[in-house]
Amino acid sequence: MVESLIENWGFPEWMAYLIAATIPCVLLLHVVAVGALFFIWLERKVSGRIQDRLGPTRVGGKYGWLQSLADGVKLISKEDLVPAGADSWLFRLAPYISVSCCLAAYLTIPFAYGWVAQNLDVAVFFVLAILGLEVFGVILAGYASGSKWSLLGGMREAAQVVSYEVPLGLCVVLPVMLAGSMNLTTIAQVQSGWFTSWLIFYNPFLFVTFWIFFTCALASVNRAPFDLAEAESELVAGFHTEYSGLRWSLFFLAEYGSMFSVSALAVLLFLGGWNGPIPITSWIGWTFEYGWFWGTLGNFVGLANFIFKCSLGIVLMMWVRWTLPRLRIDQVMTICLKYCLPLVCLMLLGNLMWPWIAGPPSASFVQKRYEAYQHLHPEPTTETEADEETTAESNSVAISLPQQVNEKQKVVLTTSSTTDSSLPLQTN
Amino acid sequence: MDNILWHSVFFWAFAVITCGFAVMVVLSDNIVRMAVALIFSLSGAAGLFLLAGADFVGAMQLMIYVGGTLVLLIFGVMLTAQGPFISLKAGSGDWIIAVVMVGLSLAMLLPMAWSVPDWHGPAMGASETKTTKQTALQEEAEADQETVVVEHNVSVTEIGLSLVGVRTDLNQEDQESGQLPEGYLLPFEIVSVHLLVILIGAAYLARAKRPRKPTKYP
Amino acid sequence: MTMQADDPRLIEFDVRTDEMLVNMGPQHPSTHGVLRLVLRTDGEIVSETTPHIGYLHRCAEKIGENLTARQFIPYTDRMDYLAGMNMNLGWSLAVEKLLQMEIPEKGRHLRVMIVELNRIASHLLGMGAYGLDLGTFSPFLYAFREREKILDLFEAVCGARLTYSYLTIGGATHDLPPGWLQQCEAFLDQFEPNIEEYHTLLTTNQIFVKRTAGIGLLPAEMAISYGCTGPVLRGSGVDCDLRRDGEPIYTRMYEGYDFEIICERDGHYPDDYDYPPVPKEAQLGDCWHRFYVRMLEVVQSVSLIRQAMDKYSQTAGDYGIPVRFNHKLPAGEAYLETESSRGWMGFHIVSDGTAVPLRARARSGCFSNLSVIGEIGHGCLIADIPAIVGSLDLLMGEIDR
Repeated sequence: MVESLIENWGFPEWMAYLIAATIPCVLLLHVVAVGALFFIWLERKVSGRIQDRLGPTRVGGKYGWLQSLADGVKLISKEDLVPAGADSWLFRLAPYISVSCCLAAYLTIPFAYGWVAQNLDVAVFFVLAILGLEVFGVILAGYASGSKWSLLGGMREAAQVVSYEVPLGLCVVLPVMLAGSMNLTTIAQVQSGWFTSWLIFYNPFLFVTFWIFFTCALASVNRAPFDLAEAESELVAGFHTEYSGLRWSLFFLAEYGSMFSVSALAVLLFLGGWNGPIPITSWIGWTFEYGWFWGTLGNFVGLANFIFKCSLGIVLMMWVRWTLPRLRIDQVMTICLKYCLPLVCLMLLGNLMWPWIAGPPSASFVQKRYEAYQHLHPEPTTETEADEETTAESNSVAISLPQQVNEKQKVVLTTSSTTDSSLPLQTN
Repeated sequence: MDNILWHSVFFWAFAVITCGFAVMVVLSDNIVRMAVALIFSLSGAAGLFLLAGADFVGAMQLMIYVGGTLVLLIFGVMLTAQGPFISLKAGSGDWIIAVVMVGLSLAMLLPMAWSVPDWHGPAMGASETKTTKQTALQEEAEADQETVVVEHNVSVTEIGLSLVGVRTDLNQEDQESGQLPEGYLLPFEIVSVHLLVILIGAAYLARAKRPRKPTKYP
Repeated sequence: MTMQADDPRLIEFDVRTDEMLVNMGPQHPSTHGVLRLVLRTDGEIVSETTPHIGYLHRCAEKIGENLTARQFIPYTDRMDYLAGMNMNLGWSLAVEKLLQMEIPEKGRHLRVMIVELNRIASHLLGMGAYGLDLGTFSPFLYAFREREKILDLFEAVCGARLTYSYLTIGGATHDLPPGWLQQCEAFLDQFEPNIEEYHTLLTTNQIFVKRTAGIGLLPAEMAISYGCTGPVLRGSGVDCDLRRDGEPIYTRMYEGYDFEIICERDGHYPDDYDYPPVPKEAQLGDCWHRFYVRMLEVVQSVSLIRQAMDKYSQTAGDYGIPVRFNHKLPAGEAYLETESSRGWMGFHIVSDGTAVPLRARARSGCFSNLSVIGEIGHGCLIADIPAIVGSLDLLMGEIDR
């Protein structure tokens, strides 16, 4: 992209880099902001239908689709209060921490093949790390408000998020283990083809793991029945009791943003990413093999797939929220430490044992994994298309596994029968 | 404006964040604010790692150091939630000792930092592992002082392999000759066992001393 | 009876945090109005709960000393504003007891119908709000959906949807409008199958059971000694209901009706209703049982209304005796307790022979039910406090008056 900007458009180098960095940032910002507006509206509609109501119907004509915008305008125009007993610096800072962590997580989430702001090799790890940081905003809000209810909410959030990070991290290990990479693009590429090749259907252990992941994700983004930090019937409004106006809405932006990002993570890890249930795009030739135009067209289909699946995940979260009562803090901990954690450890073991039960992974899966890996780590001689953010010369040193090893690995990969480890190792 | 080396701009930005908030940690007298400043400082360090192309170390920094500060923050909150923002002023004696200690370690670190020859060139972003190809590239980069090379990084694979005993960064001839470099498998296992011992010890220490009465909440 | 926080029962670990006094209410989403609870907490554990009342005091009793008995009826509506008909009935019966007035049989059936319908509306709200206390919003709106229809029926009867002043001394202000019985029948036919929904959403929901079973345990002896009444008392397994055990002037209303008091006897509830079994975790006297008793009482009320409708349409005669607003009261006093939806509602009326009572006193069931909170609201988590308060189904209008 940078080269194209310099060569075809004649931008100076510094501006080319600036533009190349700004475009994904602006796009991602809109995913969060517009996404939040849409999902807040959707939540009101969904909850309305669940509760035998209509939900918003007036603002913006049909279906009240501008309702959240109207709410947003109202929130922005409200008075921005800082309580007298608050630590005002931290109180003002807290919502921004939440929302910026939520935004940062989007940096490494691919929306379609190659459409990712930063194709990090450790994307899964990075997303988990960033999502774990969002709790800072909540704790600071709870502390800095100078209110006892806020403090209790903040402490609950801390206990909950710190506990649920453990099973959440372990859930993520399973798909990572199968795909042999922490790169989200690679993991999604491994699941291309029919929906049967999605990792959730790979074996029964992954199927169970998906639901554990979903539970833990619910808990880590504070959605009911795990919304203890803001439990309105117990803690008034929990950590955001004292907030009003824009700062309050930033917390909500962060909440809906994280809902989308954990959904995206679930979709990428378990539900095939941007791959549809039926590989139509590859049948009709909308792939990058047939050129840039067709590939982009296919990518738009993939984007639609991806966003649809993420929205399904979010609707499921809403459905759960408007159906179930809230858990108690000790029950939340019990679910995490006594059920989720041992279960996911069991699933991890089961997944390791799976090749002994069901035989080696199918040749097509191995092939896909190999291709995805090859794409990410191209061999030194080939001049492949670089990822958006990398420069041409960087690719030439990208691979450190020499070619001869790769040749042997190819053999090992296709014949490997027992091992399912993260990378096919040359053992002899 | 001819050109802006964005790499340098971000390097300085992160460096200023890291150092500035580090100073704030020292100067602040509110434990929660200190913890928050520490978080920013460590996040700045994570940004530096990511800037240098060390994805894995950067993410680790975020997860472990910044995440670990969370616990510090919680303790801070628990300690000061009752009183109105307890002040933790350091006495002048403490200051003198602190300045002497910090000065000594700085005096130790700075010559070491300047003695690494590779760091003089602008190719400082190159990853820690050196292959012949990389060295060649670096020389090339040194010749062309204007460009800063940040590689597309695959450090995580190498680190992972090294930890389970395969050093991909070493010469392949050694591997071919049958003398496999053992990597960091042994240190890795020692650290694991060490952490396990700490976990068990912590659980033992935190256990209630008195016999537990039956309560409603097990 | 307060328990200190350093009670060894509460200490599980050596590491302890400071105690904190938290003010729950009077402006708190789950204190159902303006109840103020002062919680002494150690982290999440509540070691002491002290209720403070008086934020909704409106001098109802003093007003009663300045109005005639008939004029006081609208003020009783505003005591338990969710069961206004029951309040009207309590006051009317107390006055009738003083007057030694016997109302016609048709009027008695009408009263049963109206009062039980109001009991359903009140329990529906209590049930929905309990769901709200436990963090689920949808059952609340489902309950309101049904309650709206009951309010429509009441509106057809007396023009009001909340403060009815319909039942009055000597019967009721009017007879039922034509076609009302069919509407009521249609509502019951539609409502009865819907009760299953509430059982699915709440009674048998695993999270709901975990949140309520074994919480706020109120043994029968304690319930009796604190004067708890109504579903709270019956939830503790005490077989007591004034509709059967009350004074003759009240029980005569229910003569010839087939109903069994809802409470657990010998480990099981009356067999008339095929309702979800009691979960293993639930213990007699906990929040779950109090909730369950209310749910079954709704079904019981439906059956009572059906019976009353039959009897009403079969009975000839007048629906009441007209009583003037300034009807003179005989000198003397009368006290009568009725089974309102939240407990025993007692009215004491003292008269010196004029139309205006010398003293009008109300005994509220919720007041006694609230008094037990200091006893059952400690040693639990903060999240249990709304669960306990909600299961007592308190209404501040009745407590403060």
